[in-house]
Amino acid sequence: MTKLTWQTKWTLRFAVVGLLFLALSGFEGMLMRTQLAAPGALQGMEQALMALRPVGREVSSAELYYAMLTAHPIVGIYGFAYMLVFGAFYFLVPYLLGKEIRHKKLLVFNFWAQIAGVMICWGAGFFGLFNSLYTLYWPLPVSYDRVPLVGSIAFTVGAAIIMVNILLFSFNTFSTVLSKSNPGSYSFGAFLRAAFGISRLMKRLGKDDKAAPNLDYNGLPVFIVAVARGSIDTVINAIVLLTAGALILVYGIAALVKSPLNPAAVDPLIYKNWFWWGLDMVADGNVLMYTAGVWYLLVPLLVGRKLFGENVVKTVIMVDLLVSLGVWSHHLLGDQSQPLWMRLISGQFITWGEFFTMGLTLFATLMTIWLARPVKFSPPLKFVLGSMFGFIMGGAAGLIQANVGLNVVFHNTQWVVSLHAHTFLLTGLAMLLFAVVYALIPMLTNLEIKSSRLVNAHFWLWMVGAVGMAYVMGMAGARGMLRRTLYPEGSQYQTYETLAVIGGILIALGFVAFLINIIATLGWKNVLSLVVPERWLERKPALAPAEA
Amino acid sequence: MDKRERNWLFVLVGVFLLVNAITLSPLVPWQRWLLWSRPTPDRIVPLEFEDYQIRFPQGGVQVKVNEFVQFVATSKDVTYGFGVFRPDGTMVFQMQVLPGYENKITWKFDTPGVYDVRSTEYSGPRHSEMYFPNAIRVVP
Repeated sequence: MTKLTWQTKWTLRFAVVGLLFLALSGFEGMLMRTQLAAPGALQGMEQALMALRPVGREVSSAELYYAMLTAHPIVGIYGFAYMLVFGAFYFLVPYLLGKEIRHKKLLVFNFWAQIAGVMICWGAGFFGLFNSLYTLYWPLPVSYDRVPLVGSIAFTVGAAIIMVNILLFSFNTFSTVLSKSNPGSYSFGAFLRAAFGISRLMKRLGKDDKAAPNLDYNGLPVFIVAVARGSIDTVINAIVLLTAGALILVYGIAALVKSPLNPAAVDPLIYKNWFWWGLDMVADGNVLMYTAGVWYLLVPLLVGRKLFGENVVKTVIMVDLLVSLGVWSHHLLGDQSQPLWMRLISGQFITWGEFFTMGLTLFATLMTIWLARPVKFSPPLKFVLGSMFGFIMGGAAGLIQANVGLNVVFHNTQWVVSLHAHTFLLTGLAMLLFAVVYALIPMLTNLEIKSSRLVNAHFWLWMVGAVGMAYVMGMAGARGMLRRTLYPEGSQYQTYETLAVIGGILIALGFVAFLINIIATLGWKNVLSLVVPERWLERKPALAPAEA
Repeated sequence: MDKRERNWLFVLVGVFLLVNAITLSPLVPWQRWLLWSRPTPDRIVPLEFEDYQIRFPQGGVQVKVNEFVQFVATSKDVTYGFGVFRPDGTMVFQMQVLPGYENKITWKFDTPGVYDVRSTEYSGPRHSEMYFPNAIRVVP
């Protein structure tokens, strides 16, 4: 068996745990789809699980549904996506820079803290029935006649652990890039100036910022530039969500000690603006930039050609930072209290900025592939192309809903969460992360992916399932089906829900094909060596005849 | 910038201008009054949201076809949504209802009939119960 190094093992551990979270999140998604398609179908399971919950009262199916709906995105985004991003970046950033990770112990801490934070949030939903949804719209998370107090406190503690952990990860990434272990080392201030594009601007004005790292003009790999840029959004996101969590926690503790605070002291519209400004950095900041960065890295590697239009791409990366700082109002288009000019400028026009940045990114990567013909469609390249399709489809749906006029009939419908968000996540992001796994395993282990048939099965089952599910639910949304709403038996949307369940089953089958292939490629011993001490796996030598 | 990139950028600019021009124009019917004419309403309908309930005006909501109706929604506890739906479930319009604000939207119904109201924002585990069939009657 191929001996795995410390670095390889930790990268794979992040990947394995991330995939387990994907399985958990997907399982929850299927349970919720089943409940929507056939209300009451899960009652037997619900009653059996109630024995595990410390609540001494009758709990409705709706409470369980909304508690699951609260935990589901946390597990999917901060469990699955972030764990894989941590693992991939902890390998790729030092690898591309020819450096060691600056703080290795922090890597291990990140691994365990992320698991702890996600599982506490999940437990707040599963055991504590916290049901405020990830949107946490003020004052719902502190309305203890609707959400359980202990669950609310536990959820915010879990979320705080996740956010602090993300800040530590970003710190470690930045300090690795900035570490003085090679000649290309920079001060933090100089790096930030370059990441914000100020040094590039100064150069245009004839004042070259010689202290700044060469982010802009053929210096660091474009992937690192994208990671640095995306990490700015990551940090802002974590800080903003930390403050929102701290606020909820303060109210929770005050209620716990019987000195409740007045929820009306916080303006719900200002809170909503602040919350979405930060939260949107995940969707419109780091996801897009990290994704673009991985395309910029993988596509040239896979097709053997330099990235097309690298200079434009670097400008795009900088411009996208400004765009991502200003787009949050597209989440408030349904709020007539939000000033119209903000809905128009921030909600609609600046959001179109992403049409340009992603449009140019897609053009650069697709042109790179086109100019490299003939191209071998290796497993990672297939999945990269699948992820591009996902971002085009999810992005188009997003632009339709991020429109002052059209949002009137799309806001909070299944269109938003299915055709836009889940297409981004399941077809765009997940396929990209699968591409990374398919590309990294041969790089890390010198092992070829075992079965190309299973790769194809994974690709098509996942693609048809994810796109099909998003499409039918998007159409249900266009017919008025709301998200975050549990419809009763016999609703007009049950056919859509049944088709969505079939889509979910296809996704699950694709995931199983992927797991079988990865385990067959790595071998059971390597997989087990990620979780148990190696000496347990070493075969005991047979006893010599004399000793026998 | 490469010539091909420049051409692509022109395509992107063209799509941006075309889509935004169409969707901001009166081709989207409600943009005529939500964005452009902003008329004085012919009728004001107050709605109070509290404890998973909507308090409609006494006698129900009855409006005339093609008159401008302003719905003014307030919430006494958490955030809700005010959504109006046709009997087949398709949405006519909706808005968020934030506590501490007068949330206003003006609408002009062009088809007589009865319309359902549903809360379009999650407000707690009983949110799904906030369905009020035949809550609005539009008469010729």
